[in-house]
Amino acid sequence: MSKISRRDLLQYIGAGGIGVVGGVLYGESVQQNVELLIPQVVPPEDYSPGVATWYNTVCNQCPAGCGISVRIREGKAKKIEGNPVHPVSQGRTCARGQAGLNALYNPDRIRTPLQNVGQRGSGNFEEISWDEALTTVGSRIGRLKIDNEASRVRLLCGRVRGHLDELFLQFMNLLGSDHYQQYDFTYPSALMAANKMSFGTDVLPYYDIRNAVFLLSFGADYLGTWISPVHHSLAYGHLRQGREGRRGKTIQIEPRMSLSGAAADEWIAARPGTEGLLALGIAHALVSEGHYHGSDRDEWSKALQAYSPSLVSAETEVSEDKILRLAREFGTSTASLAIAGGATAAGTNAVASIVAVNALNYLAGNLSQPGGIIFNPDPAFSATAGSRQAGFQGMLDLIGAMKAGDVDVLLVHDTNPVFALPDNVGFRQAMQNVPLIIALSSFRDETTEMADLILPTSTYLESWGDDVPDPGVGFPVASISQPVVATLYDTLPVGDIVLSLARQIGGELPIHMRWGTMEEFIKERWREEYDQRGSEGEEQEFEAFWQAALEAGVWGQPGAVAGDQPVPLSSSMIASIADPVSRFAGDESDYPFVLHPYLTATFFDGRGANLPWLQEMPDPMTSVVYGSWVELNPVTADELGIREGDVLDVESPAGSVRVPALIFPAIRPGVVAIPVGQGHAAYGRYARDRGVNPIHIVATLIDDQSGDLAWAATRVKLKLTGERLQIIKTDGVTRTLGRQILGPENDHA
Amino acid sequence: MSISVLDALRPGKKPALLGLVLVFGLFVGAWVHGKYFSDRSPIQPIEFSHMIHATDNEIPCQHCHIYADRTPVAGVPSVSKCMGCHNSVPSVREHPEILKLVAYWEKREPIPWIKVHDLPDFVHFTHKRHIRAGLACQECHGPVETMNRITRVATMRMPWCVDCHTERNVEHGRDCWTCHK
Amino acid sequence: MSTFVEKLRQYRKPGYYDKFDYHWTMTIDLDRCTGCEACMVACQAENNLPIVGEKRFAENREIKWIRIERYWEGEYPDVKMRFIPMLCQHCDDAPCETACPVFATYHNQDGLNTQIYNRCIGTRTCAVYCPYEVRYFNWFTYTWDEPLEQQLNPDVTVREKGVMEKCTFCIQRIRIAKDNAKDDDRRRVRDGEVVPACVQSCPTEALVFGNSNDPEAKVSKMMKNPRGYKVLEELNTTPSIVYLTKVHS
Repeated sequence: MSKISRRDLLQYIGAGGIGVVGGVLYGESVQQNVELLIPQVVPPEDYSPGVATWYNTVCNQCPAGCGISVRIREGKAKKIEGNPVHPVSQGRTCARGQAGLNALYNPDRIRTPLQNVGQRGSGNFEEISWDEALTTVGSRIGRLKIDNEASRVRLLCGRVRGHLDELFLQFMNLLGSDHYQQYDFTYPSALMAANKMSFGTDVLPYYDIRNAVFLLSFGADYLGTWISPVHHSLAYGHLRQGREGRRGKTIQIEPRMSLSGAAADEWIAARPGTEGLLALGIAHALVSEGHYHGSDRDEWSKALQAYSPSLVSAETEVSEDKILRLAREFGTSTASLAIAGGATAAGTNAVASIVAVNALNYLAGNLSQPGGIIFNPDPAFSATAGSRQAGFQGMLDLIGAMKAGDVDVLLVHDTNPVFALPDNVGFRQAMQNVPLIIALSSFRDETTEMADLILPTSTYLESWGDDVPDPGVGFPVASISQPVVATLYDTLPVGDIVLSLARQIGGELPIHMRWGTMEEFIKERWREEYDQRGSEGEEQEFEAFWQAALEAGVWGQPGAVAGDQPVPLSSSMIASIADPVSRFAGDESDYPFVLHPYLTATFFDGRGANLPWLQEMPDPMTSVVYGSWVELNPVTADELGIREGDVLDVESPAGSVRVPALIFPAIRPGVVAIPVGQGHAAYGRYARDRGVNPIHIVATLIDDQSGDLAWAATRVKLKLTGERLQIIKTDGVTRTLGRQILGPENDHA
Repeated sequence: MSISVLDALRPGKKPALLGLVLVFGLFVGAWVHGKYFSDRSPIQPIEFSHMIHATDNEIPCQHCHIYADRTPVAGVPSVSKCMGCHNSVPSVREHPEILKLVAYWEKREPIPWIKVHDLPDFVHFTHKRHIRAGLACQECHGPVETMNRITRVATMRMPWCVDCHTERNVEHGRDCWTCHK
Repeated sequence: MSTFVEKLRQYRKPGYYDKFDYHWTMTIDLDRCTGCEACMVACQAENNLPIVGEKRFAENREIKWIRIERYWEGEYPDVKMRFIPMLCQHCDDAPCETACPVFATYHNQDGLNTQIYNRCIGTRTCAVYCPYEVRYFNWFTYTWDEPLEQQLNPDVTVREKGVMEKCTFCIQRIRIAKDNAKDDDRRRVRDGEVVPACVQSCPTEALVFGNSNDPEAKVSKMMKNPRGYKVLEELNTTPSIVYLTKVHS
């Protein structure tokens, strides 16, 4: 064997080395990524990998109070569905309810307590610790309390019900301030006031659409936005096809077709603001045509004298024949129901209109009848929560107090008045006068942006709470809200923040508010309720009840008797109506169009605008996504030479917005409609700087009787700007053109 | 001067030998990789032996992989489960690998096991159905009870799945959506 | 090739799917449908549909497995709006299935028109052939802004750029129901056990889903309704969705 030189040997070793390294690299390259198999340290009891568990809680996307079930996989919330045993939602949900997951997992959630370090409203926030935040707030409020100046502390929140409301109330009472108010733009103030006048009740009745045969809706978009849309939708399905051989009929009276208008058999665009008058005209015809047989017939006939169909027809621009026909159908159907909401309940005649509609219900004899108005019993608890609604007047008072320097500390939770009040009432400006603004909020909306200190709240899917749905369903019901996932960030449920503040402030607050957590508080209150309801017994029994209630997410007494029968409606109510027609801000010659702002099924009053699923959900009536538009009748548009996408200045006496035009076939000429919901100046990446907010240009006319904002009583003028903007929508051809799409009888060329 | 590569192939020539060494090195490298660094048999954070547990101590598979016949996922035992037994096995308490386990437990940290049998995210696979159909664990996982370090014996790729489904005449076993999701 | 053609012919014979355990079918009552779009969001949540963003929407790149189509009738004041939910019709004689060059879309034994993402090479032929326009192409790989991805349903694949996708009748829910049936030693799932996300959410109960091979199923009874029709029936696609036309009063 020949001798290998040193040089050769090195070469062989080198080649071998390269080979080995190459081999290893090759092996590495064909290998799958390393995935880890992470075990639990200690497994939770009810955990099975790869199997979903469901937890019941309460939806908080609108005030209806639907019960929901949330599907959880490996500790993450995957899907929201209706809670099948909850009497309001009965297993169903609307789009907004499902998008609650977008709120939970929203990238723009507030994750830690924040302190404003720049100018107020500039959005310059710095992270601080909970200790620091709570100490700041606690010492400030504590000092005011010691100085007997606690009335300079104000608490403003959205629609809060259940025991959270009690907690807030107790907190403010112990503090010595009676300035605890709620503000919800969608709160049906006029409806409450009118029902109080008509029926003497403070509780919203149950409108039994399910069993109605003839439904007459004055502006109430009961399928999209009005008080309990999911429940109404269920009822609507039954009204249409739930009874063998007996299909209910619906009529919608509104100037711009809503979802409910689209569903209706007949859509009537009466002159805006005259809907109440139309109701009176129908009532007149109903009595005079002999469809009402009550003993007080003569009185009613006298009271309604002034509203003969011919006169009403001239005012409302609804033909006399139609009024007579509606009266006949309404009077003779076995179960007729009239409801009022939307723009009808937002004129200067709001209460008058609803009283007129209530009179119709009385004349049809449907009070406390199936398919009519069923009166709800007093809620299981928090019966007076509604009385804390500030309404428009209350907000003006608050603004006045802020301007006068009477407010030292303003606590804001879950309400956005900077967005949901007209610009010219100056809420934002008044806030500048408040030395300390504290926002208890999950998102940086316009109002939260103005805060000095943000205490981040957990979302409703991470919090304990309870709720009494409003409107109820005719029998006592209460729901429990429980955290379905662990808290994602350094946030606290709002109830726990209040309890922490109470401890921080000290004095008698922590003595009375002795609960460690919201969960503890709720459970104790439920135990008291349980004991009061006569089922006092062993500890064990309540525990079993509590577990069952938690599991079901709801407790109810379906057999329980409804509230007291109302006194018969007196015809004198009609006499109290001074003017059944709404006034409008702005002179018709200067401002030729009536502005019809409407709540949308997508964003409701704007609180859904930060949820990407809702931004990407085409508007049901127009298919528009991501943006705002102003709707015009095709004829009007033609006359003004406006095409879709032409940017218009919509100018009211109170301000103006710039928004592209959309030609909408189902709107009355002389009316322009802008959806509410977009136009946020803050509120996260999905909502910010998108579209316009019509509430901002609403003139501050108020309803004569309730004093609430008449947000549908503003006139506007349109100005072409010459700019164009693409309206993003999913619709292509909006006519079937005779294709076999809608079924044999419904395809029209 | 002729340019030819044939020269290089002639035995006895140095370049050829060098090449051979290189190729041999490649195989060695691949083998070494497979033996010590492969995803088929990766080195785990704790040198856990199925042989000791399943053969020597005769612990049945589902004593630890408790979810196998109940859910889609077999599940690795929780750290508390490991400790539950090892607290009462004093003989190995001082074993360095057991000390690692105790360390994880005391820090309340999970053990970052490296996944050996991994299916892509687009595959729907359920242990429950396979176990309830009467398959033994070993049919897919190999003789785990003889392995000191766990090694994947099957490819866990689609042809392997489909072959078995075909062979056993599984109802709709070859429908794409039986496994794809 | 000829055996393949033979096979295809056999598949496409009417009633071919009746011999199997299931023929998943949906009925949609347009007299109940209000166009509220709860179904759309339910589908988005259940099936990991991407959030495409404003720009992509403007380019018509949105992905909605179920959508509400709107049709106007008449002119003001006698104008009417008609809604119709449109989703994959799971046609027994699906034009898309004959078009795919790689058999990424095919009809399975449950009467489902299915799409295998791994197999799809993105020719988009199927979308062209579909008269209902319910197939959606992934022009981009969409991502979710953290932590929105935590909501993603682990039972459904997240699709990538270059593949076609469409309604599956929530096949993952069918799978779970079948799994439960097997656990109970039942041959078939019970009526009402499989509820796709859209059907589940529908607040007016306009959508009914079930196995039309089971004469006792609710969906079989709904299909017999005289108001029943199939969209674009004249194309002979034999859809698995029966619409019940809206009633005029």
